[in-house]
Amino acid sequence: MKPVVEVKNLCVKYPASNSLILQDVSFRMEEKSLAMVIGPNGAGKTTLLKAILGFLSPLRGDITIMGKKPQEAREYMSYVPQRFQLDRSFPITVKEFLLLSFPALDSPHWHTIISHVEIGSLLGLPLGNLSGGELQRVLVARAMLKKPRLLLLDEPVSGIDLEGKKNFYELVNHMKTAHGISIIMVSHQLDVVLKFADRVICLNRCLLCDGSPEEIMNQATFRELFGKESILYGHRI
Amino acid sequence: MEIGGILTLPFMQKALLGGAVSAFLLALYGVFVILKRLSFFGDGIAHASLAGIAIGVVLGINPLWLALLTAVIFTSGIYFLERKTTIPTDAIIGLIFTFGMALGILIISLKRGYQPELVSFLFGNILSLSWEDILATVILGTLVIFFLLAFRRSITLIILDREEAYLQGLKVEILEFFFYIFLAVTIVLGLKLLGIVLVSAILIIPPITAKLFSRSFRKLLISSLLIGEATVIGGLFISYLVDAPSGAVIVLVGSAIFAGVLLITSLQKRSIRL
Repeated sequence: MKPVVEVKNLCVKYPASNSLILQDVSFRMEEKSLAMVIGPNGAGKTTLLKAILGFLSPLRGDITIMGKKPQEAREYMSYVPQRFQLDRSFPITVKEFLLLSFPALDSPHWHTIISHVEIGSLLGLPLGNLSGGELQRVLVARAMLKKPRLLLLDEPVSGIDLEGKKNFYELVNHMKTAHGISIIMVSHQLDVVLKFADRVICLNRCLLCDGSPEEIMNQATFRELFGKESILYGHRI
Repeated sequence: MEIGGILTLPFMQKALLGGAVSAFLLALYGVFVILKRLSFFGDGIAHASLAGIAIGVVLGINPLWLALLTAVIFTSGIYFLERKTTIPTDAIIGLIFTFGMALGILIISLKRGYQPELVSFLFGNILSLSWEDILATVILGTLVIFFLLAFRRSITLIILDREEAYLQGLKVEILEFFFYIFLAVTIVLGLKLLGIVLVSAILIIPPITAKLFSRSFRKLLISSLLIGEATVIGGLFISYLVDAPSGAVIVLVGSAIFAGVLLITSLQKRSIRL
């Protein structure tokens, strides 16, 4: 399979900081697969996504998205951030918000996504009135409307209840299998990681482990990082 | 004099035409300005343009053109300082604001005696509007409206979600630069009518009034435009009838509309809670 993302010796540093947030991170990810990025807080997970998206320039190393530099591959990518910085007083309806990114209203693709993400009843509501879970579904719909080849999700279920989380992960899995989208998802939920991921990338400023869920479960670094939790979930797969 | 009679006065015709175009520009641009939290920018650029007005007065050239030039230069300065330094935006605007004012005061001191042109730019004066000013307002105003309408979706997306705008392939930095430049042009075009001290009020009052009751972006834009036009045209008529400075009366009319809408929306919310 062709690699959709190839990261080589990636080093990233924020301008105001002296220390590296990511150091010599290398991995490749195949098309139509789901890669989960895991690691403790401050491990550089969001930084990795932002570097792939082209929001941050690497200090050293290379990133290619389908053979192109991130800045040249913007059209292929969609992103759902961990926390959407929404000014809740901004008077805009959900429909107007989606039309900013996807003006082709009433196309078959529009209807498919809206019904699949179940936001049809929300379209006329002000965006600022939505709950955390509803807003997250709207952001996923917006990301999907673009028909991305690569979807990046940064802890997309934070603020969503248990039932919502289950539905969300099933939706993500459906996007991969039915629409052939490659997905990179940052998550803290090991049970989900091990159930849905094709590949797991363990990060703690550098690459600790990388492989299929079965492979990484047996790696000492993974067990050190997640302790008892890794043993618990290791029995489930 | 009756309203029909007022409309036959040439200076009033110029004031109404210039006022209607300026109100449209300021109230439309104001929607994006308040959502981007750039209200202080309007005030800063209006005051900094005093440097250009002063040069125009001293050299005997229409101050509007030099005010436009200095506003564009100062705006470019704000834009680049914002990106190339870590100084907060409000501090940069404060720096440019006071620099332009100080430069203007120094230059105007070179010309002795009372300067009616300067006073009309400071506080607004409908009598001072020339056909050259009206023509400049209509031509440049059309350009500004074209820019805003053509890039309305892109500008809104940049304000709401810069990262998504980037992923949509928009030239975010170029659009932001032109957003700033056209904002400066809009403010300068309103100077003669409203004055340096008061012009930013029409940039802010119509959209914040409309925001009190708008639930959609479309409604916000239309309501802001209607409130802007009602404020400026209503203010012009009242200022003529009571023989008071136009800029001040226009701002007071706008403030009264804001207070009225605030009262009504507050009462409505209260009755819903009860």
